[in-house]
Amino acid sequence: MKYRRSSVKDILLTFLLIGTVILQSGCAFKDIDKRFFVSAIGVDPAENIENGYKVTLKIALPYGAIKESTQPSYAYLSQEGETIGESIRMLETHVDKVLELGHMKVIVINEELLSGSLRPFMDFFTRRGDVQLIAYVAAARPSAEKVLKTETKTEAPASVSLFNYFGDTGTESPFIITTYLFQLRRDYYMEGISPVLPVITTNGDHEELIVNKSLVIGDENESASLDDIETKYYNSLFKDANGFSYKTEQGKMRLLLNFDRIKMKYKIITKNGVPEAIDMKVTMAGEIGESRQRLSLSKLDKYDKMAEEEIKKKILHLLKDMQEKKLDPFGFGLRYRATRLQKDGLYETWKEAYPELEFRVSVDVKLMSMGTNQ
Amino acid sequence: MDENTENPNTPEYMKRLTKKLEPSDDIVQNTLTIEGKKVHLLFLKSVVDPLQLQSVIVKPFFEMKEERHYAEYINSLPYKTKLPSGDREVMIELTKGNVLVMVNNQLTLLELKIVANNMVQEADLEPTMHGPQMGMSESLEININIIRQRYHDPSLIVETLELDEQSNRGIALLYDKDRVRPGVLDKIKERLQPLDVELVQAADELIYYLNNKKRSLFPTSLLSGRPDRLINNITAGKVIILVDGSPHAIVTPIVFFDFMASMEDRYHSYWIMVGAMVLRYGGLFTCLMLPGIYVGVTSYNPDVFRTELALTVAASRIGVPYPSFIEVFFMLIFIELLTEASLRLPVTISATATTVGGLILGTAVVEAALASNIIVIVVSLVAISTFVIPVNEMSYAIRICRFFLLLYATLFGLAGLVLGMLGLIMFLSNKDSLGQPYLRMYWWNREKELKAGKR
Repeated sequence: MKYRRSSVKDILLTFLLIGTVILQSGCAFKDIDKRFFVSAIGVDPAENIENGYKVTLKIALPYGAIKESTQPSYAYLSQEGETIGESIRMLETHVDKVLELGHMKVIVINEELLSGSLRPFMDFFTRRGDVQLIAYVAAARPSAEKVLKTETKTEAPASVSLFNYFGDTGTESPFIITTYLFQLRRDYYMEGISPVLPVITTNGDHEELIVNKSLVIGDENESASLDDIETKYYNSLFKDANGFSYKTEQGKMRLLLNFDRIKMKYKIITKNGVPEAIDMKVTMAGEIGESRQRLSLSKLDKYDKMAEEEIKKKILHLLKDMQEKKLDPFGFGLRYRATRLQKDGLYETWKEAYPELEFRVSVDVKLMSMGTNQ
Repeated sequence: MDENTENPNTPEYMKRLTKKLEPSDDIVQNTLTIEGKKVHLLFLKSVVDPLQLQSVIVKPFFEMKEERHYAEYINSLPYKTKLPSGDREVMIELTKGNVLVMVNNQLTLLELKIVANNMVQEADLEPTMHGPQMGMSESLEININIIRQRYHDPSLIVETLELDEQSNRGIALLYDKDRVRPGVLDKIKERLQPLDVELVQAADELIYYLNNKKRSLFPTSLLSGRPDRLINNITAGKVIILVDGSPHAIVTPIVFFDFMASMEDRYHSYWIMVGAMVLRYGGLFTCLMLPGIYVGVTSYNPDVFRTELALTVAASRIGVPYPSFIEVFFMLIFIELLTEASLRLPVTISATATTVGGLILGTAVVEAALASNIIVIVVSLVAISTFVIPVNEMSYAIRICRFFLLLYATLFGLAGLVLGMLGLIMFLSNKDSLGQPYLRMYWWNREKELKAGKR
C-alpha cells in the first residue's frame, strides 16, 4: 500500500485553504437581493435647473409570492440634475440597494426634449456599459414621469407591461413603431435617414398607456409628429409591420380591408446624376374584413380599384408631408448614398434635390377573398 | 493424512511439498495401489472438484490394466497444465486447484479446480434495456470463455499473467493482435511488472496501479462488466485486462468520450442515439456548470436573466441569510450526502432516506428561508443530471469538478466560470491514457487510422 499513503498534512492544508477561500468572494460580488432592477428611465426637462434634466426611474420590486400577489409593485425615484449621469449618481444615495441598469429596457423621453440636439442626454445611455443597446426608446406625451408612473390595470406581477408594447413582444400592431437604442443612435448620426420614435401617451385617468403615434426627429429641422394613420402607413411600408387594415368608403359602400401581405419597392430615378423622382410600387394582398352591404364575389376587382386610389392618396400625402418638412424617415437619402458611387458632394446633391423630388406611386391591391363568410 | 506421509512408497518430492504445505487441513497426499500399479496424488481438496477427480483420475486407474497405459492416459488429458520448475511455483499451482499426479516416475499437473463464484451475473454496473443482459462472472476462466465465445477470431490473443503480490492473482490481457495499438501493450506490461503492492483484489483496484500517478481525479481506464462493451473495445484496438475474482474488466487506453458512451447507443436507431447523446452531454454540462452559473448569474451578472426571472429569483432570495455561494455549497454538500447515503444503504431503506432527505428536508429548508426555492430546483437538477453520465467513475470525477467550478464562479463570476471551464479543458487535453491523448475526439482503430494517415 505504498502508493496510497499520501500525506494527510497536504490534504488537510488544501481543505483548510479551500475552506478559507470559500468564505471570501470576488470584488464584484453582490447578491441579487441586494440589487434594485430599474425597468425604465424617464427623462424630462428640469423644472428648477436651467438646461437640466429630471430623471425618473421605475424600479420593479421583487415580491415574495408571485402566484398570490395580483398587483405588481414599483418604486419611483426622481431627481433633477444638470446631466443624466449626475442625477442617477445622486439617486444611488436615495436607496439602500445597488441600482442595476441591466434590465432597463425602455427609455422614455419627453417630447419637448426631442426637437433639438439629442446628444446631451442620449450620450449617457450609449456610453454606460450595463445599459443594453437593445433598449426601446420612446417619446412621451405629456411627460416621461407621467408615463412611467402609469400602472396599467392589465399589468401582471413580475412582468413590466411597458416592455410588451414594443418589438412584438406582447401586442402586435401596425400602429406601434419599435425603435431600439442602437437604431436611434445609428439613424441619428447617419446622413440620409431621420430616426422615428413611438410616442407613448396616457389616457385621462392614467390607467392606460397608448402607443399609436410617432415622432420623426429632425437633426437640423423641427421634429414632426405623425398621427396614427400616418404611423400605420409608415410602419407597414417601411418596417414590414403586419395587420394593416384599411377602411374605404364610397357612397353607401363601407368596407374594411385587411391586408396580410404588403410589398413595397422603390427606385430612385436620376437624370444627369441628379435625382429627380422616386418610383414606388406597392402591392397589397388581403381580404375583406367587414362590410355593411351584401358583397358579390364578381365585383372584387371593383373593390380593388376603389381601395387602390385611396391608398395611393394617403401614401402620397405622407411622403409629401415629410418632404415639405425636409425630413426623411424613409431612408431615401440613405438608399441614394448607398447605391451611387461615392464622390464628394454626393449627399449635398441629394439634399438639394430632395425637396423638389417627384413621387410616382402605383398601388396594386389584390383582394383574395371576402373573408371566411362566403 | 499422517499415515500417508509415513507411507514409505511416497516419493521424496511429494513428501517435501506436503511438509511445506502443512499444517493445512485440506492437503491430501494419496497413493493408490492395485495389482502393482501405483499412482501418487497431491492436491488441496478444498479447491479441487471431487467429482472430476473421481472420474478423470481415480476411476480410470482401477480400470486400466497396466501402469504404462495409465501414464499415457494421464499425459494425454486436456486438463494438463505446464509444470513449473520451483517448489514454490508448484505449490502456488496447487493452491489454484491443480492436482499433482505422479505415475511411473512422471510428474503431471492436472487442472481440476472448482470455483464457487463462477456464475455469470447480470450486468448491473451499466444496465441497458437492449442488448445482452448478462455480464461476467468472478472467475477468470469463465470470463475468458465469455469473451472468446463472442469474438471468434484467431487474432484474439489471451495472455495470462500472474501478479507478483501476496495472492498471486491471475490476470489476463486480451487483445486483437491485428488491431491493437502498437506500444500500448508494452506499456501495460511495463506498468504491471514492477507492481510493488501487497494485494490486488479486483480490477477496480488494479486500475489505480495502472494509472501510474499517485493522485488523480479523472479515470484513465474504463471499468466495464459488459461483454458487449469489451468486445467493442477489442475491435477498436484496445486492450482488456481481466482480473481473477472480479466481474469487471479494465479497458485501456481510453479517451474521455468513451466514458460518455453507453452500449445502448449501438442498439438504437440513429436519431434516437443522437438524441440520447445530446441529452447526455447536456446533463454533463448541467451538472458541471449549473451551480457555478447560479452563483455567477445571481451575484455578478443578473442582467443575463430575463427580467421576469430576475425578479422571481430576487424574490425567492428574500430572507435568505447567506450569500448565494454558501447557499449553493451547502445544498450541494447536502445532496452529495444524500447520494452517498442512499448508495450505502440497502435498497429498502434508501428509498426512505431519499424521501426524508430530498422531499421533507428540501421543503423545510425553503420554508425556513435558509435557501431559496430556485436553489432547490438547481440542486435537484444537478443531482439528477449527474446520473445521466453512463460510467460511474466519470460521474464521481465530475461531481468533484463542479465544486472547483463553483469556486471559480464565486471568485470571478461568469467570466471565472468560463476561465475554470477552460482550465478544465486544458487539464484534460494535457492528460493521457497510456500515451494516448485523453481528449482525442474520435477513436479510430489502427487500420482506419493508417488509412486516414494516407489520405
